[in-house]
Amino acid sequence: MSDPVRQGGLARAIHLLHRVEDTILALLLGAMILLAPLQIFLRVFFDAGLTWADPMIRVLVLWVGMFGAISASRGDRHITVDVFPRLLPGRARAAASVAVHLFTVTICGLLAWHSWRFVQSEREFGDVAFLGVPTWILQSVLPFAFAMIALRYALGTFPQAAVLLGLREPEEPEALS
Amino acid sequence: MTASLLLLLAALAGAPLFAVIAASALLGFSREEVDLSVVAIEIYRLAEMPVLLAIPLFTFAGYVLGESQAPGRLVRLTNALLGWLSGGLAIVSLAACALFTAFTGASGVTIVALGALLYPALREAHYPERFSLGLITTSGSLGLLFAPALPLILYGVVAQQMNLDPPVKIDDLFAAGLIPGLLMVVLLSLYSMWRVRGVARTGAAFSAREAWAAVRESAWEIPLPVVVLGGIYGGVFALSEAAAVTALYVLIVEVVIRREIPLRQVPAVMRESMVLVGAILIILGVSLASTNYLIDTEVPTQLFEMIRARIDSKLTFLILLNVFLLALGMMLDIFSALVIVVPIILPIAIGYGIHPVHLGIIFLANMQIGYITPPVGMNLFISSYRFRRNVLDVYRATVPFFVILLLTVLVITYWPALSLFLVGD
Repeated sequence: MSDPVRQGGLARAIHLLHRVEDTILALLLGAMILLAPLQIFLRVFFDAGLTWADPMIRVLVLWVGMFGAISASRGDRHITVDVFPRLLPGRARAAASVAVHLFTVTICGLLAWHSWRFVQSEREFGDVAFLGVPTWILQSVLPFAFAMIALRYALGTFPQAAVLLGLREPEEPEALS
Repeated sequence: MTASLLLLLAALAGAPLFAVIAASALLGFSREEVDLSVVAIEIYRLAEMPVLLAIPLFTFAGYVLGESQAPGRLVRLTNALLGWLSGGLAIVSLAACALFTAFTGASGVTIVALGALLYPALREAHYPERFSLGLITTSGSLGLLFAPALPLILYGVVAQQMNLDPPVKIDDLFAAGLIPGLLMVVLLSLYSMWRVRGVARTGAAFSAREAWAAVRESAWEIPLPVVVLGGIYGGVFALSEAAAVTALYVLIVEVVIRREIPLRQVPAVMRESMVLVGAILIILGVSLASTNYLIDTEVPTQLFEMIRARIDSKLTFLILLNVFLLALGMMLDIFSALVIVVPIILPIAIGYGIHPVHLGIIFLANMQIGYITPPVGMNLFISSYRFRRNVLDVYRATVPFFVILLLTVLVITYWPALSLFLVGD
């Protein structure tokens, strides 16, 4: 995020958002790293276990995955087939990138909407997962994550669109690291 | 048909593969007039598979090990134990990389973490430049047939979605990968010994003292492969339990005891590793939906009928499968290839009488070669970038290793017993 256009307040807000995301991810993964061995410990030595821990660990996998996916959309790090765009000249690559971004925004938007409907119907159903937490809250990570990813890709469209409109110089494709 | 072509075009233009797969599922279900929230229901199944816990935990453990000084200790230890052989350092590279990849899951981390240590060491010991470059590039994907490599786990997870009878067990996959994986390491080692005969010797004879020092230096890490591999192969631990123990142990050893990673850097390592995990799990999630659609509409069965009408021998099918998988491995990374292609070819392969566990080993062995298949194998680029060499040099350097691995893959494909020998029924 070294775009000179985004200075000051907005840049700080974005930085803060990244910090919040990273913290949530670390907390989710940290909980998983502690809870999973704890269950083994309790089972091996006391032949016992926390009844809520196993379903919670499974939900943590989903949450870590979805927050990881949000994190991957920051800086466009989702898995792609990136052979062909590399071969295109600057403007054509920008055009492909804009099209790809818009496609991703549409699909993630649809996924967010339909998972929101899924959460709604679950909410009416009123199931409780564990420790009194309603299931729909656990499921709400889906619409949230897809909405965030859609937003990221929507914002990501602008730099490439600027190249396409001739407002910016095309960048060289990033080297693999 | 038009829609499928458009999706293919989107994928080739560089769209995230999870979005392409999700689009195909959304399209498919809407054509069948099924309520589209079914896609969300399928993705939520990620929270209903206990075995998936192994993916974030092993990945995190691998990243922590990669960030610590453990790669250096691993090289020293293998060197102390194997370095005295003729061509010893080459064998050290192969063995160390295979072990490291098994734990970190073949995402290019091996070349970056270990290659940076091994390549200069090989050059210093007067190994030919081209040989060293080819060796390191090839070693980067070696070891993904050994437990607990992520691709093996993911194949098991995907195959279990297919409701086979009897279901594919991940333990069986671990057992099946052992001998084919060793075959690769041994053949590459023999070639290396022959290739550098007379040219290079590390010189140092075996020293019990250095070996002991290296063992002591690695004392905290040595229990890891013993406990994890012993635990899994011996049936003591379930996979997710082994992952849980590994993640916590590695975190305590490298951060608290050795202090090689400062505590405040841990969230950054967590984020880095979970970007990979998120990218894999979201693809797996949406592909649960698309697979469900595929099975509902009996696409694999129809494909099988179609192929069956043209090819009736198992042998011809296997040859075609090898060609297809090699091309696929060049284009797609191993994780997306697994979730996209396995649901389609597994039922077809079973139709030709191929054991699902054997298919898994064939699939991964081919994919492994895909990493170093010119012109676009991923490790070729990573190596070219990392060692600042022209990618054409890397192609040339890798050819002999490529040929050997190709031979191994043929052996693995046409000799099922090699994989199934250790699989108990």
